[in-house]
Amino acid sequence: MRWMRFFCALVLVEAALGQSLKPEKTITVPPDAIVRFTAVSPKGDWIAGACQDGRVRLWSFPSGELRQSFDLQDQRVSSLRFSGDETLLAVGGDRGGVRIWNIPSGKLKLQLKGGESVVALAISPDKTLLAIARKDVPAQLWDLTSERVITELPAKFAGSLALDFSPDGQWLACADADTDIRIYESRTGALRATTSALLLETFAIAFAADSKSLYAGGADKTVSVIDVAGGNVVRKFPRQPDAVSEFRRSPDGKILLVLYFDETGTAKPAPVVAWNVAEESVEVQVSKPDVTPNGGGFSGNGRAIFTSSAGAKLQVWSLPNRGK
Amino acid sequence: MTWYRPSLTRREILGKCLGWLAILSSFRVLGGGEATAQQRETQHRRPTPPNEIGPFYKKSAPKTAMLRSAGDPGMPLVVRGQVFNTRGDALPNAVIEVWQADHLGQYDLDGYRYRAQLPLDPAGAYQFDSVIPGHHPDRVCQRIHYLVLAPGYKPLITQLYFATDPVFEGDPDHNFGRDPLLHNSRELVRPVVLAGDPHDMQALVHFDLVLELL
Repeated sequence: MRWMRFFCALVLVEAALGQSLKPEKTITVPPDAIVRFTAVSPKGDWIAGACQDGRVRLWSFPSGELRQSFDLQDQRVSSLRFSGDETLLAVGGDRGGVRIWNIPSGKLKLQLKGGESVVALAISPDKTLLAIARKDVPAQLWDLTSERVITELPAKFAGSLALDFSPDGQWLACADADTDIRIYESRTGALRATTSALLLETFAIAFAADSKSLYAGGADKTVSVIDVAGGNVVRKFPRQPDAVSEFRRSPDGKILLVLYFDETGTAKPAPVVAWNVAEESVEVQVSKPDVTPNGGGFSGNGRAIFTSSAGAKLQVWSLPNRGK
Repeated sequence: MTWYRPSLTRREILGKCLGWLAILSSFRVLGGGEATAQQRETQHRRPTPPNEIGPFYKKSAPKTAMLRSAGDPGMPLVVRGQVFNTRGDALPNAVIEVWQADHLGQYDLDGYRYRAQLPLDPAGAYQFDSVIPGHHPDRVCQRIHYLVLAPGYKPLITQLYFATDPVFEGDPDHNFGRDPLLHNSRELVRPVVLAGDPHDMQALVHFDLVLELL
C-alpha cells in the first residue's frame, strides 16, 4: 500500500507543478521595506512581515490592508510569533529585545531588553507563558504575568533553534543546537523527555493537534514524528531534496505545511509541501523556480498559503487544493 | 607573518613559497606548536572567543585526524593546535569536533565528509588534515567550525577563519569586520603558511583553543 501512496502523491505533485500558479494577493511596501520573512497568524487573519527598514508590518488577510506597524527601536527583527488566538504578536530582535503587542489594538503588552539575538519565540495557549530561544545560550521560560524568568532550558551546548507549546498547554518542546529535542512541562520547565536520535540540527517543530506527538524537521530533510511521552521517533515522512525551515499545522490537524530551503543557499527557490499527516503523503507541492518562500500558514478558509517577496511586493500564494 | 594575497599570480605565490619553506623548517625544528605551547604553559591565556555554531552541525562524527581523501580537490590544509585552560594548563581530556564545507563551500549533510572528532595527545595537542573550505553562499568567509568540550569547563563553540581569505584582500587586520560574525573576534582569523614544493603545496594553520572554567 505504501508504494501506492507514493505513486498517488507523485501524481498530485506533478499536477501542482504543472499549474501556472498566480499570487492570490500582492501587497506593495515602500522600496526600503522589502519583507524579509513573515508570520501568518494561526487562523489566517493576519500576516506580520519583518521588513528591511526594521519595522514589522501587520496586514489583515485576505484584504491586505495595513493595520499596524511596529519596531524594536534600533534592532533588526529576527523572530515573529503570534499567540494561538491571534490576539498577541511577539517580536524578537538581533540584540536581544523582545516586545509583545496586543492585536489589533497595537498596545504594547511586554518589553524585554538585552541579551543575545532572539532565534525563536513561543506563547503558551493560555498566554501566561513565553519561551524565548536566543543564539548560543539556553532558552528561557518566562511567566508573562509576573514578567519573570521561571527557568532556563539548557542543552549540552549552545541554545535552542525552535520552540513550540503543545495545544493543550502541557508541554514545551525545544529543538536544540546539540541536535536533541527536549520536551518540558510548560508550567515548571521540568524536563520530561529527550529525543537524541536526530543527528542533524532541527529548525522547525510543531505539536500535533492532540498534543501527543511532535513533528520535527531540519537539516536532515525529513519530518520526524516524535512520541511526546517517551521522546522516541516513531516514524518519518519520506525524505525530500531540501532542508526543512518551517512548519504550520492546519487548524484541523490533518495537514502539515512544510516550508523547505536549499541548504546550498537560502536565497535559492525551494518548495512548499502540504503533507497529509495520517498517510505521510504529499497532498500538494508547489515549487516555482523564481519564488523563495519566506513564510506560510493557513487562511481562514483552511487553504494552505505561503508568502514570498518580489522586490517591494509581498506576494501571498494559495496552494491548490487536492483534486482541483 | 606574511599573508598570502589572493591578487598574487601563481608564479609569485610559488616564488614566495621558497621563502616560506625556510620558515617552515624552523617551525618543524621547534617541534611544531608543541614546543611553543610548552613554553607558554605557565602563562595565563585569554579564552578563545566564541562564534556561532551555524546550521550544519552533525553529531557522532567519526574519530579521525584525516578529513580529506586522496584526490580531493582544493588546497590541502593541516591545522595544528593545543587545548588549554585560562591558566595555561593543557587539557588532554578535551573533546574536539570540527566540521567544514568542501572546497566549493558545500556541507555534507548526508554523510560525514569533512567532519571529525579529533584525537588529542597527552599534551592536549591536536592536528588534522583537510582542505581549505570554500565560501558557502550564505556566509561571508571561509571557516572551520569547532566544538570543544572538557569536564569542568564551559563548552566552546567557535570558528577558525583564514587570513588568506580573499574577503580580507590581504589585510585581515583592517578587513576582518567584513564578516559580521567576526565583529570583535579578530584573533579567530589565523595566519596561513604555505609549505612544500610547488607541486605539492599545503597550507598550515596553528589554532590553539582556550577554555574557561564553568
